[in-house]
Amino acid sequence: MAHFDTEYQRLEASYSDSPPGEENLLMHVAEGAKSQWHHIENLDLFFQRVYNLHQKNGFTCMLLGELFELVQLLFVVCFTVFLANCVDYDVLFANKFVNHTDSSKVTLPDALIPMDVCSKRIRDNGFVIFVLIISGVFWLHRLVKFLYNVCCYWEIRSFYKNALKMSMSELPYATWQEVQARIIEIQKEHQICIHKKELTELDIYHRILRFKNYMVAMVNKSLLPVRFRLPVLGEVVFFTRGLKYNFELIFFWGPGSLFENEWSLKSEYKRGGNRLELADRLASRILWIGIANLLLCPVILVWQILYAFFSYTEVIKREPGSLGARCWSLYGRCYLRHFNELDHELMSRLSKGYKASSKYMNCFLSPLLTVVAKNVAFFAGSLLAVLIALTIYDEDVLAVEHVLSSITLLGVCITICRSFIPDKHMVFCPEQLLRVILAHIHYMPDHWQGNAHRYETRDQFSQLFQYKAVFILEELLSPVVTPIILIFSLRRKSLEIIDFFRNFTVEVVGVGDTCSFAQMDIRQHGHPAWMSEGKTEASIYQQAEDGKTELSLMHFAITNPHWQPPQETTHFISQLKERVHREAAGAPSETHPLSLSESEPRSLVANLLAGPSTLASVHFGRDSSLINAAAGLSDGASALRSLSPVSSSLHLRGSLSMAQRASGFTAKAMSGSGTDARTVSSGSSAWEGQLTSMVLSEYASTEMSIHALYIHELHKQQSRGELSRHTWHRRESDESSDSIPDEVRSDHNPQSKTFPRSHTFPTVVSSPNATSASSSNSKGQEEEKSQSQRRHSGPATDHLSAAGRAVRVARVPMGGWAEDGQAAPRHHESVPEESSEDEMPPHIHKVT
Amino acid sequence: MNCRSEVLEVTVEARQVDEAMLALLHTILLHRSTGKFHYKKEGTYSIGTVGTADSDCDFIDFTFVRVSSEELDRVIRKAVCEFKDALNNSGSDGMGQISLEFYQKKKSRWPFSDECIPWEVWTIKVNVVNLANEQERQICREKVGEKLGEKVINVVEVINRNEYLPKMPTQSEVDNVFDTSLKDVQPYLYKISYQITDSLGTSVSTTMRRLIKDTLAL
Repeated sequence: MAHFDTEYQRLEASYSDSPPGEENLLMHVAEGAKSQWHHIENLDLFFQRVYNLHQKNGFTCMLLGELFELVQLLFVVCFTVFLANCVDYDVLFANKFVNHTDSSKVTLPDALIPMDVCSKRIRDNGFVIFVLIISGVFWLHRLVKFLYNVCCYWEIRSFYKNALKMSMSELPYATWQEVQARIIEIQKEHQICIHKKELTELDIYHRILRFKNYMVAMVNKSLLPVRFRLPVLGEVVFFTRGLKYNFELIFFWGPGSLFENEWSLKSEYKRGGNRLELADRLASRILWIGIANLLLCPVILVWQILYAFFSYTEVIKREPGSLGARCWSLYGRCYLRHFNELDHELMSRLSKGYKASSKYMNCFLSPLLTVVAKNVAFFAGSLLAVLIALTIYDEDVLAVEHVLSSITLLGVCITICRSFIPDKHMVFCPEQLLRVILAHIHYMPDHWQGNAHRYETRDQFSQLFQYKAVFILEELLSPVVTPIILIFSLRRKSLEIIDFFRNFTVEVVGVGDTCSFAQMDIRQHGHPAWMSEGKTEASIYQQAEDGKTELSLMHFAITNPHWQPPQETTHFISQLKERVHREAAGAPSETHPLSLSESEPRSLVANLLAGPSTLASVHFGRDSSLINAAAGLSDGASALRSLSPVSSSLHLRGSLSMAQRASGFTAKAMSGSGTDARTVSSGSSAWEGQLTSMVLSEYASTEMSIHALYIHELHKQQSRGELSRHTWHRRESDESSDSIPDEVRSDHNPQSKTFPRSHTFPTVVSSPNATSASSSNSKGQEEEKSQSQRRHSGPATDHLSAAGRAVRVARVPMGGWAEDGQAAPRHHESVPEESSEDEMPPHIHKVT
Repeated sequence: MNCRSEVLEVTVEARQVDEAMLALLHTILLHRSTGKFHYKKEGTYSIGTVGTADSDCDFIDFTFVRVSSEELDRVIRKAVCEFKDALNNSGSDGMGQISLEFYQKKKSRWPFSDECIPWEVWTIKVNVVNLANEQERQICREKVGEKLGEKVINVVEVINRNEYLPKMPTQSEVDNVFDTSLKDVQPYLYKISYQITDSLGTSVSTTMRRLIKDTLAL
């Protein structure tokens, strides 16, 4: 027994695992901060940088690009100074004889002035020193900015690498939508925004475009003083980068601006209580900034000239024609921009419209100029021909003084003249061109349609699409004009601006204060004449002009198919899509009466959308007088039909996004389309994988074009039917006399007599006296009150000290919780307002 | 503003200010404190205990629970005293706010200093009233007590919402999340600041910073 061996042994009681006294404690595992990307302080800036880095194609590209810019700048300055001071031009022009012992040839070093003489010349020249100092400061500023950017973007780069798992090399080939999808994905894991569990596309857009949305809305509501009626020039638009910078300085980030920080409006501006006082304060601030602008004017002027010189000399050297080329004006970019549209989306849209737009503008060559140009070109041409012929016969002719230069000059002269002579084979069809343009730019005042051939339309279009030379000229003028606009024009609008920011700012949880227009809520800001009849509750003051809300909504929904809008918005979108699809399917079956009778040129829309290879078999009438309901509605439809690839893709897209939303109308949308087999199968997930977002976004623009055309067409019919009502509306909405169509008013001016204006195109508005308007009628007040829970209170009367506080306590029994009920994902703000009883809309227009 | 902000408003008499403030600040900190962490190998740790203590108010019918840590109490009392003195000295109509900000530190590379990123800010707005007679004082005493009770429930509601909190740190990072200077309790990093009048103007320094930042930005 003594040696009975067994596997079993007595267990030694081991209490040595944990030190005494701690054995009963729970052990936790530290999660640690696995990534540094949780809880980012300034998400606005962060998203903007993420977007910028994506647009600049990655870190290396950005770095190199900026580095070369710096070097280029240095080179241009040094080289210019060198050319001006260190070259002996007499030697070059052979006015001075250089005696060489060995040969008679002049060499380049002969023409250089010796170092010490040269530097002395520079030192003695005060102007050169001044310019050098300013460019030195400019360059240093750029250098510091560059270094700062390198630090900031290095962080963003590691965000791309570590969090988004995208390398810099694949960044240029990833669409923004892909990047965005990944950001939304990692939010679930890292919680970069701490307010909610999930981010939406709209949140990201709101943060990137917070201030731009405000600017777009202000331009849309004609709040910013950018249109002026000058005695000689007529109506002009003046909106330059300098002016824009000043606006942003005043509103958004300058000292004492309306915004407390990047994401929240100061609380006193949210209350209507002391709006008059705030307006006074704003006015005096604008005055000071205007005066500062005036004082700094010479410096800014020199700066601008240098800047223009450095940025454009190279371009002009490379392609002299580029100055004659046009570009979209800054105002145009604001006017045409959707709410929540990123830069690259806008630019691609405008670039697509560029060709058609310049074609359209070229339709309007002055006949007088053409005659003159033809003759000048003739004489210049004959001289040139003789000189060239002589040169060919004997090239010694070139050695004669000024022959080479006169050949060059004549050549330039002929080129300029030729640009004034229209192409012999060009057909003048502005109405169609304008339609094509509309398909891309999406916004257009109503009165352009049907008046495309008129000079007035052209003039107004040129406000959006100006000569680049004019653009540069305006930039150069800007330092002088900006203070004048600030002091005399913007200052008077201070009360309206205060009211605007109060009325159109909502606080969205997780985003901060944003422009309420950017919410794209049809109910709040829809325009009854733009398809949201019956759905909108907006007063005239609240509704966005030009159908901006509706078109922006469509645009956003189409570019971001994964976005899930709120219920009623979804309804609006699906309804509209359904209508467009139905038209697309139904139009060709019933043979169009006009398509047979009219021998109009083919649909340019179709041409443009699908390229020349399209078999645009459907002809339809474009003459505005002939357009009836069928013709109008079938516009988008026939465009759809005629491009089978696009059309099928459209269905594809449609069905895809519909499938995602589990909407019921997929089948309906697809039935009747010629590509049944493909579209039906597209509902399956097999297609989803193949359709990269790149493909989607390419077709998205086409789809958006069609929707834009459709909405405009519908709007035209609607407004045609209710012309009288609209004119009445407009007269109420602002006092600008020229916005009333001429049919209903007697005009003394015979020139503009037959030129109807729409009620939507912004015109010079004699600023409505908001103060008097605030003593509003009771009807509007009621209406405003019904919405009071979702917006900041209107102007309140002055006696809210004690009573107001009592009311607040009564209304907020919990003690003023600023963000109660955060569970609602897109919860509109409910900032405790003082005295909701007293609130009144700032200026109310009577609604029928 | 990637941070939650909660606002509490109280209306009290002058002598009740410090007690009311103490009650609210202590209530919040009670829920935002843990025991000391004792790290073991490989990122595990155990949490020490936290004692609680009842605290009675002299001028309000109210008793609140606080972390029984003398050090923490001293720190908060000091802040509240400063606030009260400033409020008394201001001579204005007795409006002020005290804010308790929880933040976490983020290490930055060399040229920049460490960032303090707030994730939750509690703002307590105080409105001081003057009372005429003793009877009103009695009523006020009870009413403020009730109000404070409501606030405490509000605080608990907010804290129960299960929203973003900094992740539990590893040993090396514990100073970035928790205030480890106290020896018996470990609250999240916090900052107490106060402001007397209601004017929330942007200070000159922040404006300058923004101006510089903006010129530097792309």
